[in-house]
Amino acid sequence: MTRPVLRIVCVGNRLVAADDLGPRVYQELVRRGRPDGVEVVDGGLAGLDLLRFLEGASRVVVVDAVTGDGVPSGPTVASAADVVHGVCPDCGHGGGVAAALAMLPVVVDPPQPEVHLVGFGGAATGADIGALADLSLRIARGEQGQ
Amino acid sequence: MAARKTIQVPVNRVEGDLEVRVDIGDGVVVDAWSVGTTFRGFEGILTGRAAMDSLVVAPRICGMCSVAHLTAAALALDEVAGAEVPDNAIRLRNVALMAEHIQSDVRQSLLMFAADFTNPAHRDLAFFADALHRYEPFRGASVVEAVRATRGVIEIIAVLSGQWPHSAFMVPGGVVSMPGAGELMQCQHLLQQYRQWYERHVLGCSLERWAEVRSASELEAWLEERAEHREGALGFLIGCGQAVGLDRLGAGHGHFLSFGSFPLPASTSVQSPDNGRVLVSAGFSDRAGSVDFDQARVEESVAHSWYRDTGGSRHPSAGETRPYASGDEAGKYSWAKAPRYDGLPAETGPLAERVVAGDPLFLDLIRQSGASALVRQVARLVRPATLMPAMRVWIEEMSGEGRFYQKPASLEDGQGHGLTEAARGALGHWVEVADGRVVHYQIVTPTVWNGSPRDEQGVRGPWEEALVGTPVDDVDNPILLGHVIRSFDPCMVCCVHAWRDGRRLAKVRL
Repeated sequence: MTRPVLRIVCVGNRLVAADDLGPRVYQELVRRGRPDGVEVVDGGLAGLDLLRFLEGASRVVVVDAVTGDGVPSGPTVASAADVVHGVCPDCGHGGGVAAALAMLPVVVDPPQPEVHLVGFGGAATGADIGALADLSLRIARGEQGQ
Repeated sequence: MAARKTIQVPVNRVEGDLEVRVDIGDGVVVDAWSVGTTFRGFEGILTGRAAMDSLVVAPRICGMCSVAHLTAAALALDEVAGAEVPDNAIRLRNVALMAEHIQSDVRQSLLMFAADFTNPAHRDLAFFADALHRYEPFRGASVVEAVRATRGVIEIIAVLSGQWPHSAFMVPGGVVSMPGAGELMQCQHLLQQYRQWYERHVLGCSLERWAEVRSASELEAWLEERAEHREGALGFLIGCGQAVGLDRLGAGHGHFLSFGSFPLPASTSVQSPDNGRVLVSAGFSDRAGSVDFDQARVEESVAHSWYRDTGGSRHPSAGETRPYASGDEAGKYSWAKAPRYDGLPAETGPLAERVVAGDPLFLDLIRQSGASALVRQVARLVRPATLMPAMRVWIEEMSGEGRFYQKPASLEDGQGHGLTEAARGALGHWVEVADGRVVHYQIVTPTVWNGSPRDEQGVRGPWEEALVGTPVDDVDNPILLGHVIRSFDPCMVCCVHAWRDGRRLAKVRL
């Protein structure tokens, strides 16, 4: 049986404090060494370019900053369906992770990956980053119930 | 023999400007002239500039093999300065150049060479509908996949050096910086993605399985073994090529030249196939066998090139580039010079690398059927399979904490040469520096070798020779000429008109 392809894709802008969660988690995962059985990818600023990192994977965890009113403090976990609701897939320029996930069924050849999103409400400390890295790995490996 | 006709054919889907003039007798090419139609002048541009300027200027010779030119320029300055390049820098330079090779090989094969199988001249052949589905320009399924996959792998160079093309990260003594662990992990991911695509789409098998194919009979058996092998890009190329007869066309002189490339770091688990100090061997090979390469035996003739005569062929360290646009006067007909090795023309490129390396598969294919446009293209399409394993190891071995630069003693005065293999073959830069300025610079590119005009003895260049004997069934659509020329992966570019007997007939695109 083919081994499932498990992947963590960290997106964000390391130069912008409000958007650097993904790059910080990526650096933490790199610091620990390549995790067994899970690919770790720097998704950069992503946008629609994120789609090529979703192709060919069985399960993908996208790590990204979460902003907006009503976002609870601490770790957040969501599914692709949670974030694409109401997103216009034709939005082109300015389209972020949600737009890319809305395009996923149209662009990426089946089978479609199972996509989960991990974020953090508020400012994340170093310890929070470590915990997010652990959470991402558990979800990628299917060890964390949703 | 029936009266000879002459047609003049510009060639598209190559990089640069190229026209080919052929004489046709009894429906086949009986003579050929390769015309480089553009003068670039980079050697003159560099003369008088600061020595380090070559690292910025030379990569701009080409947008497809700029890392190769940067490599050759840096190696030449390494020699001028007596630089010792640390292992990490050697690995980084190698990986970047390999990434350039493995995307170029696939792009040229699937976007430029394979498109010829969709030419209407082949419409009655069994493969035609499938070829259209795969290789129709801009639309073909394989074309789309190739663009996506090669775009991904070329990112390795951007991660390691900041940009591609026209990267500027090599300096005499090493490289300007080392990637961090995260960037190296990203490179491994990009390489792994490309390898998986290449195994699935091009080979239809693993790299390890392909490495077991070491003879013509084993290649036949491999094709028969599984449908995935026959239907992958490589298997399909072989089938189309045989159907068109490309396995019997485009032989050339049978001389092969490689400058060698990818020096091994002092500490590495990558092994040289011939126990040497490079991954891709240097050498010259003809029917008598292979000999070690000696750059002192390289000379260039301008007898039939639009340059002031130099009193015979000259080594590049003594060569001159004084343009003399004389039209047809004195039999000159190309802006390309005529490089020779020990006085002989030589083709260079992936096939030459395999022959010089003593690759048993390609030696057997040539022994059985001779060199040909098909075996030349097969060598190109399978070259990534030989490079990707070493790429993976060298990315693993790179360490952000090791030395990547050793300041060289001086770049004020001295001579040096930088020799490497670009995607298209042997590339050399020869430089002389005085008071920190370039006083002499000569560049010999792979396409100058392959697309060379005649020399003092009137001996044709490699693809001029390869064209002789090629059938021309339709002077308005001489598709077989295009197949043969494109098997050399020319770095020149095109616009086209066709003449016959001095009378323009039509506009033709090959």
